[in-house]
This record gives sequence, C-alpha cells and structure tokens, in this order.
Amino acid sequence: MTQPASPARPVTEKSAPADGDPGPWRSLAARVDVRTLSLLGVLAALVVIGGVTEPEAFLDTDNLQLILTQASVIGVVTVGMTFVIISGGIDLSVGAIVALASVWATTVATQDYGFAGILFTAVVVGLGCGLVNGLLIAYGGMVPFIATLAMLASGRGLALEITDGKTQMVTVDGVLKLGERDSYVLGIPPLVLVFAAVTAVGWLLLNRTTFGRRSVAVGGNAEAARLAGIDVRRQRLYLYLLSGLCCGIAAFLLIILAGSGQNTNGNLYELDAIAAAIIGGTLLSGGRGTITGSVLGVLIFTTITNIFALNNLETAVQQIAKGAIIVAAVLVQRRSATT
Amino acid sequence: MPEFTSRRGLLFGAAAVSAGAVLTGCTSNESKDSEGDTSGDNKQAVADDKPGKRVTIGFAGPQADHGWLNAINDNAKSRAKKYKDVTLEATEGSNDTAAQIGQVETLINKKVDVLVILPADGKALTQVGLKAMRAGIPVVNLDRIFASAQAYRCWIGGDNYGMGLNAGHYIGEKLKDKKNAKVVELAGLDNLELTKQRTKGFDDALKNYSNIEKVARQAAEFTVESGQSKMSQLLQAQKNFDALWNHDDDQGVGALRAIKQAGRDDFMMVGGAGALSAFEEIKQDRGVLKATVLYPPTMAASAIDLARALGQGKGIGGMAEFEIPASLTLYSAVVDKDNVDQYMPTGFK
Amino acid sequence: MAPEPPLLTMSGITKSFPGVRALDGVDLRVQAGEVHCLLGQNGAGKSTLIKVLAGAHQPDGGTIAWRGDEVTLRSPIAAMRLGIATIYQELDLVEGLSVAENVFLGHEPTTAGFVVRGRDARAAAGALLKRLGHGEIDPARLVGDLSAAQQQIVSMARALSHEVRLIVMDEPSAALDPDEVDNLFRIVGDLTADGVAVVYISHRLEEIRRIGDRVTVLKDGRAVAVGLPAKETPTRAVIALMTGRNVEYVFPDRPKPPARPPAPVLVVQGLAREGEFEPLDLELRPGEIVGLAGLVGSGRSEILETIYGARKPTRGQVRLEGRVLRPGSVRAAVRAGLGLAPEERKAQGLLMLESVTRNVSVSSMSRFSYGGWVDRGKELRAAREATRELSLRPDNPAVPVRTLSGGNQQKAVLARWLLRGCRVLLLDEPTRGVDVGARAELYTVIRRLADEGLAVLLVSSEVPEVLGLADRVLVLREGRVVHTAPAEDLDEHRVLDLVLASGRHGPEPADLASTGSASTGPASTGPGTTGPGTTDPGTTDPETTDPATTEGSPAS
Repeated sequence: MTQPASPARPVTEKSAPADGDPGPWRSLAARVDVRTLSLLGVLAALVVIGGVTEPEAFLDTDNLQLILTQASVIGVVTVGMTFVIISGGIDLSVGAIVALASVWATTVATQDYGFAGILFTAVVVGLGCGLVNGLLIAYGGMVPFIATLAMLASGRGLALEITDGKTQMVTVDGVLKLGERDSYVLGIPPLVLVFAAVTAVGWLLLNRTTFGRRSVAVGGNAEAARLAGIDVRRQRLYLYLLSGLCCGIAAFLLIILAGSGQNTNGNLYELDAIAAAIIGGTLLSGGRGTITGSVLGVLIFTTITNIFALNNLETAVQQIAKGAIIVAAVLVQRRSATT
Repeated sequence: MPEFTSRRGLLFGAAAVSAGAVLTGCTSNESKDSEGDTSGDNKQAVADDKPGKRVTIGFAGPQADHGWLNAINDNAKSRAKKYKDVTLEATEGSNDTAAQIGQVETLINKKVDVLVILPADGKALTQVGLKAMRAGIPVVNLDRIFASAQAYRCWIGGDNYGMGLNAGHYIGEKLKDKKNAKVVELAGLDNLELTKQRTKGFDDALKNYSNIEKVARQAAEFTVESGQSKMSQLLQAQKNFDALWNHDDDQGVGALRAIKQAGRDDFMMVGGAGALSAFEEIKQDRGVLKATVLYPPTMAASAIDLARALGQGKGIGGMAEFEIPASLTLYSAVVDKDNVDQYMPTGFK
Repeated sequence: MAPEPPLLTMSGITKSFPGVRALDGVDLRVQAGEVHCLLGQNGAGKSTLIKVLAGAHQPDGGTIAWRGDEVTLRSPIAAMRLGIATIYQELDLVEGLSVAENVFLGHEPTTAGFVVRGRDARAAAGALLKRLGHGEIDPARLVGDLSAAQQQIVSMARALSHEVRLIVMDEPSAALDPDEVDNLFRIVGDLTADGVAVVYISHRLEEIRRIGDRVTVLKDGRAVAVGLPAKETPTRAVIALMTGRNVEYVFPDRPKPPARPPAPVLVVQGLAREGEFEPLDLELRPGEIVGLAGLVGSGRSEILETIYGARKPTRGQVRLEGRVLRPGSVRAAVRAGLGLAPEERKAQGLLMLESVTRNVSVSSMSRFSYGGWVDRGKELRAAREATRELSLRPDNPAVPVRTLSGGNQQKAVLARWLLRGCRVLLLDEPTRGVDVGARAELYTVIRRLADEGLAVLLVSSEVPEVLGLADRVLVLREGRVVHTAPAEDLDEHRVLDLVLASGRHGPEPADLASTGSASTGPASTGPGTTGPGTTDPGTTDPETTDPATTEGSPAS
C-alpha cells in the first residue's frame, strides 16, 4: 500500500485510543495488582466475619497460628501447582504424591534413619514422582491431565500397598517435636516458616529468574517459547519436578503435623490446590499467574474452614458456602479486572 | 454329591424358620431334602474346631484403605487359616460398586459353598446378594446391610447406634456429679449413615444427664489428617469442656496429635472402634484418652465361623436353636483402663 | 555482487510433512546488506522455508551454507548464534510477559546464570525500542496490553536484541498502519546500511518495489524464480510467477444500480460506543456492498462487532428488516440474519481442528438435527453444496479446515453464513493472509453473494480493496465517519488524505481543512450522503493542538 510521503513522521499513537498510551492513572493501577487487592479484600471481609461471629476464639494469636499452620501443607503444594498451571499444564497427582511420600517416609525402615531419613525420603519420593510425570509429559508426549491422573491412581495404590491401610505412627522425637509448641520460633510454628520460605523462593523463582520467565512463556505461547530458543521439553520436565518437590516438602510437613503417615493423606489436595491457584488469578489455560495470588487463595480457604468450624457449622453448610465463595471470588475478580 | 445335598437341607431348614421365599427354586429336590432335614433337625451338630467337611468360602470386601477395614480382612484371613477344612477365596478389595459386583459374580460362578460379603455399598450390592442366594449359595452379610433380607442368610455387624449410646452413658456416668458439664463430639464422615446413627445414640444417651450439654460437633473424615485439622479447630473454638467423644480411633490419632499440639489436658476423651494404638494409650493412662467404644473388627472372624457352620450344615453353640440366627448385632463394649488387657489382642493397627 | 561468498546459500532444501511435500528443492541465496524478498501464495512453502532457516524445522534434504561454510541449524538457538533472527507473523510473543521479558526471552541478562537482571533488561529493551522509533512503549508493560502494531515493534526489538547478520521478516507490515510501514522501511534501510541482510516476506507488491533488492518467488514448494531484480521486474510478471496465470481483472464488475433501489435491509441509527466510535447512521440495501475505510484504531472493526452484537453499544440501535435487534446480543443478530466473518479468522471464526463440514454447519445445526441427533448425511450434503457454490478448494468438505489455504478458510466462513441463509454479511478484513491470486477469486465470490441479494458491509485496511469491491465507501477517522461517497468518486490518495487528516499529519492537511463544512458530523449524516466530508473542527481541535506528541515523537 502506498501512501503520501510526509516530511515529519506522524504521531500514530493518538489515532488509536484503544491501544494508546495507558496514561498515568492506568499505569498506576497496573502497578498495584487489582487481583491481589480484591483477594486481600475478600480476606479482610472474612476476618471481619470471623471477628464478629466468634470474637474470642477467632481473634487471638493461637487462632492465627492455627490458620497459618493448617494452610502450610496445602500452601506448599499450591506453590508448585501454580508453576505447573502457569506453564499450561496441570498436576492431578499432588495429593497422591503427598500420600505416597508421607507413608514411604514413615515406614519402620525409614524411621530407623531418624529425622534426616524421613525428610530425605519424603523429598526424594516427591522428586521421583515429579520426574516420572515430567518425563511422561515432556518426552513421552502425554497430555498432563492423563499422565498425572495415572500417577494419581498408581501413587495412591502404592501408598496403600505400603501401609496395608494402617496408620504409621512416627516415633522419631525430633520430627514430632517440630509440630509442638516448644519449637515455635518467636511464636511462629516451624511449619509456617517452611511455608513462608517456599512462598518466598517460589515468588523469586517466578518473578526474578529465567526459570520463571520460561515457565510463563511455555504456558503463554509454547511455540513462541520454542522459537525463542527455550528448551520447552526440558522446562516442562523441571516444572513437574518442582511440583513433585513441593509435594515432598508438603508430605514432610504433614508428617510433622499429624505425627503419622497414612495412605489417605492429601485427600483431594489436587482440587484444593487448583481452586486456590484459580482464585488467586492463575489462568487455567496458562501464561499468567502469581504466587501471591495463590497463597492468598489458600489463606482464604483455610480461613473459611476455620470460621465455619469455630461457629460449629455442619460440614454440608461448609461445603456449600465454600463453593459459593469460590464463585463469588472469581466473579469479583473478573469485575475488577474489566473495569 | 452328598455335600451338595446337605447344604440344600440346611438351607431348606433356614427357609422354614425365616419363612423366606428363598428356596422357591429348589422344589424339585423337596422330598429328598426333607428326609435329610428331619434327621438334621433332631440333632443338628454344633460347629467346633474339629476338622469337618471341606468348605470353600468366598470373601468379598472393600478396599482396605483404613485401619478398621484392614483389620476386617486380617481377621477373616487368619480365622480361615485356623480351620484345616476351610478354603478361603478372597477377592481383591474394591471400593467400586461395579467392580465388587463383578467379583461376587465371579465367586458365584466358581461355585463357592458360602459367601461372606462386606459390601462397599449395601444397597448397591443387594441384587448380587439375591443372585447368590438364588443360586443356592448362602450369604453371610458383614456389617453393611443389604436392602433386602432375602439377599442374605445371616447378617452380622456392629451397632453404630449402640456405640454412641454406650459412649454417651460412659461419659455421662463420669460427669454426672459435675455441674454444667460440656461435651464435644468429633464425628466421622458426615455423609455416611453410620455417622448419623452414632451421633443419634450419643445424643440419646446424653438426654439422661440433664447437667451435660453438647456444645460443639465437627465432622472429620476417618483420616488422621482430617482428625488433626478438625480437632485443632474444635480446641480453638471451645476453650474449656469436660469430655470429648471421637467416633473413630484412626482419626483419633490426628485428634490426639492436635490435643498435644494445643497443650490441652483439661478433659477426658473417649474413642471409637478399638485400635491398638488407642488401647495402648488407655493402658498407659497418661493422656486424655480414657476409653474407647468397640466396633469390633473381630466380626469378620465370626463371619467366617458362621460361614463354615453354614457350609457344614451345623449350628452354633450356646443357643437353643439348631439354626444359625438370621441376624447378629454385636455389642459395643466400652474398653477402659480396667478391662483393656482383655481386649488388647483384638486391637487393630 | 561481491567476490566473497554470499551470506547465506540454501540449496535443494526439501521438507515433507505427513501427506504434504512443503519444500521440494528450494534454493535461496542472500547477500549481506540486501533486502531479499520472498514471494509466494499461502502454502507455497514460505513459512516452512523460514522455519528451516530459523532452525525450527530440520530439512529432509539439501544444504545450508553460511558465509561459504556448510552448517546445520539444529535448533533455534543454533540459528541465533550464527546471527539469524526471525520476526514471525504470529506465534511470536508471550502475552503474559512484559515487553522487556519478551525481548530477552531465552537470552535474558542474568546474574549467576539464572537470576534475571530485570532493570538491565528493561533498560536495554527501552534502548532497542527507541532505536526502532518507539521509545513510547514502556518495556515494563504486558505485551498482551499492546496493540498489534506495537507488538510487531516488540518482535522486531527482539530480533535486534541478538547480534544479527540476517533478519527474516514474515509479513511485517500486515499489522501496521501506513505511517508504521514508513518507519519499518526506515529501520530496514538502517539495517542494510550496516551490512545486515533482510529476508522480507510480504503480499504487498508495492512494498517490495519500494525496498526490495532482489526477489525469490516460491510456488508449490519450489523456487520458480531466484534473485530477480525487485525494482525492474513487472508486477504482472511477478503475479504470473506466483499464481501461474496473469491476473488481469482483480475486481469484479459492479452491477448497474437498480432504477428503484430496494428497501434497506439493515438500518443503523445513532449507534455509538463511548471511546470507540461516535454515533453512526448507516443503511444497507440488498445487493449492495458498503466499505468502511480507515486506519487501525479508527473504530472500523468495533463498528462491525457492535452491529453484530459482540459489543454492547452505549447508544443507538440496529434494525434488520424493520425489527430492532437486542443490543449486545450476538444470538439475536444471528437469528435475525446477520453473519460476521471476523478479522482473526483462526481465533474467532473457525474451529481449526474440525472439518470443513462442521465449520460450515455449526451455525445451522437445527437444520440437520432431530431431537439432538445430527443427520450427518444431510449435513455433509448441505456443506458440500455451500462450499461448491463458493468454489472452495479442495472440493472435499471432510478435510480439516486447518489444512486449507487462507482464502479457502475465508470461504468456509462465508459458506457457513450462506448455509445459514443470512441477509447481511459483515466482513472484517476478508483478505488478510490471503494471497493475491486467491483474493481475486474471493472478491468474485463476495460480489456474487451481493448479486444474489445479500447486503455486505466490508472492512479493510487496504484502500484499493475497499475502493475496488464496494459500491459505497464510508471513510472513518478516530471513530467518526468523515466522508461518504460512491466508490467510483474516490481514489486511493483521496481516501488516504481523509483518513490521515487532522493535525497529526503534519503541515499538509491545510487544504483539507478548507474543503468542506462540518455538515458531515456523523450524527447528522445520513447514509448515502455524497458531499465531501471533512473534520469537525470542534471535536478535533483538542486532538490537533494536543502537544502530546512525545509518545510518537519522530525518530531520529
């Protein structure tokens, strides 16, 4: 298409109001993440509800410790899950991996090696499952949904095989102690410290490292990532390894918390973790997501459970309300994202 | 086929007692069987440990993903091993109704002598129970009851309502001198009928004690993890109470963990089911757990006994009747420090 | 040229995909510092060839020599290391990452190998964008928030973030306004002056004339001409090489307007969307093709989508055969007889993995289904009839629509509406990504549909297309209709003057400001108004005098 020559280069930006300069106001709004704000709003509303309905039980240090402790295990899993979803994948096997790692790490044979043995086994089992997932998906060409579904089934099966359905009590004092009050550091339970550390590392990994960039790129546009010279397959492998590692850590936390290993551990973690990530603004189709959002999502869920339990509401009511809050949170976010 | 005949005889007798329409398909053998029956009726043998006629028992249970269910399997298997004349055909446990139906049908086709079925879902497996009975295979229905009495020859199981009742009475007696006593309930999976029955029994028992009020109830999921989680919330919600009833000793492991983590020891706790870890805790008498109400997995051993007796055409001892009863409800005994030693061998892991 | 070996020599490159021989012995020779144009219809093998060059595909046969030495481009990284960068038409950017993150994706400046130095990346990206004349693009912004043109610039910045000796540009001008194209050419000039070679792919022959040095033409996976002089080879000869035939009459003849024009089928009254376009009146009669001409961002696509109900108007109404359509309801529009062929054909128009049949029948399912059961035979027959009427190739509606060329994909979209029996067709950039030969055929199809009684509203960024195909043209600028005239009364320069008017264009438009009154204010202009339109000083003045030229300041 020809066009008249013009001596000065014309300003083009103004011709397109829709995609013009964001202006000072919009760029400010963009800097403060709207999603994060709306999640904090939901959390604040929950705190108000909790404080009004159960002022004594809800608003005290013990309860804060309780909520954070209860959030730790699923929180660590959700950090790994967030990476996987951002990369356009899904990991349905997280609950099964937590179960398998927690029972493998609490067998009599493992407990002979003490604290280190339990920790090591939990982490290695988690990584091993992640490795299998990753290899199947990245190099075996399997769809993440199917590969991790298979891992879910076989992981749960193996966990049952190991335990025979029995509860494996932990006898290593060092592990048990970590779940008790004496081990709190400045009033913070060790589990919460681990959760915070995993969150911080996850945040840095996503926002400050090539690994994070590549994860987003693979999820947002795998072909573009490949053409940019990223080894997409290896990146996928790493992502499922990361998720497996998080499951291993979570399994260790769960062993500390429950003082035992059981094959029913981690029941439906996959759904809780996915729901928390989605509430936190992670796109199920990949390419976008934040660690902050996911962690807030976990905290919202845990706080809801806490408030309902403190108010002595029935399980059925809890479940209904939980579903309603998921829908409400997502709707609120979409509204605030579009306006 | 003398074995075949005697089984028919036994069944016919049972039909007479329970006025069932079970044996309508067996009329062709009526006269012959009647003869056999007459002799049996007069001095029906009582089953004992001595080897008798060989019996093949088909056993179909759910997946043993829980301590109690695992104990059921163990009890059944070890009991069967005890008898030289019993061959146990146990299926791979399954929680999938369709899979379990398939397994039972396979056992029917294999022509086992007696079936012991602990259904994943009692209602859903009623049809296959009926099918077995029609095929002339007596069914011992274990714990989760079929929808029709025609689908089993004998039902044996625990008493969920009685569990709650006994737990309530035990706690009630302990607290009866205390004014404004408060109790808390940690229930099991709320979408199971048995959980509702346990809670109803508990509530009914507490009605006898006007000084006691149930102040909170939360439902866990029979797992350690859920027990820990729900109990820690309950402890946060109720800063002081006098007694806790926990429906299940497996989730009780988690509950005890939560109690320890919260540093609480200002109340007594009563468990449920009868796990070995609970018995040991009670025996040591160092923590809050003072008693547990049985839901004995030994019922599986009894079911094998019943099946063997049915297969050999014998009755059971200690009763006036010649025939095995149509239904046996087990007593939910309270085990505390005083009698725990007696129950220790039955505790499951 | 020089005695030294060419920068790049590809010889006898072959590449097959299951069922397709994409490249069948292609040669390409590129000298340092030249603009080498690659021409060919869609499916001729251009994309495959540049992917081989970028290391994204491995050739089955043939050799690649780089500065005289034979090389193997095992991966995109290997190609980049040699200094080959590629700007793809699509699939190129990650919307969820920022501009800087996209520019340095895969080769981020890092500390300790994996911690990204974000500030350095942003500064370097900012410098690259400035060099490209787009310093106003904030390197921290998400690419998904940028316009298509800006994304194109980001792609280019990404290519330049490597040490490049050869840049492949795949239709770089497709998403650009004419101004931007000028800017692009300036950049290409700078690059070649530095000795960088540019492989330039475009459908626009004029562009190739302007900047190209030599031309290689691909057809059916073969190079039918290698290294023709770009400036001298006659256009007709190039088209003949690409299509294998001479394209004499690109546009079909317009029929004579009927003596008594039929009643309008579509009436748009005062339709507006705040911030996108101002109140618009429009009437469309059966048999008529009306074109909307304007730059990217002039509101042309938005108008189409609002009429279609995909966007909710802030005011105004749309009537189809007298009945008012529920605003903001695509369902209502489709039921009433509207059909849209969207600009993003692949993303918005087609089910790429499905067969042609299913794509064609998807809007008329009720005609082939009884109580939920689809009569597949009937569906297939109807789809075949509709696609035959439009001469869709291949003549087999069972093939997946993704295997079709751009022009035939567009025909599949048209066939869908034909089958649906719609009364008004809204076409948004119907020939985007469709090659020259196939365009002519598509024009013929569109005209034939109009002749059969459909009313067509056409949006295109290619002015000749609007002028050649439409009966009547509405010229848009900044969301307002600034001129309405029969197509015969307009020429390309006139339209470009109109769309570029207002102060943005620099010192020239003084003549335009004096050519008319403000009578064509959009709200007052009825359809069919033929008087010369011009700007309404009242509304454009703030724009004109706005000194906010900082963001688009002329590059040095």
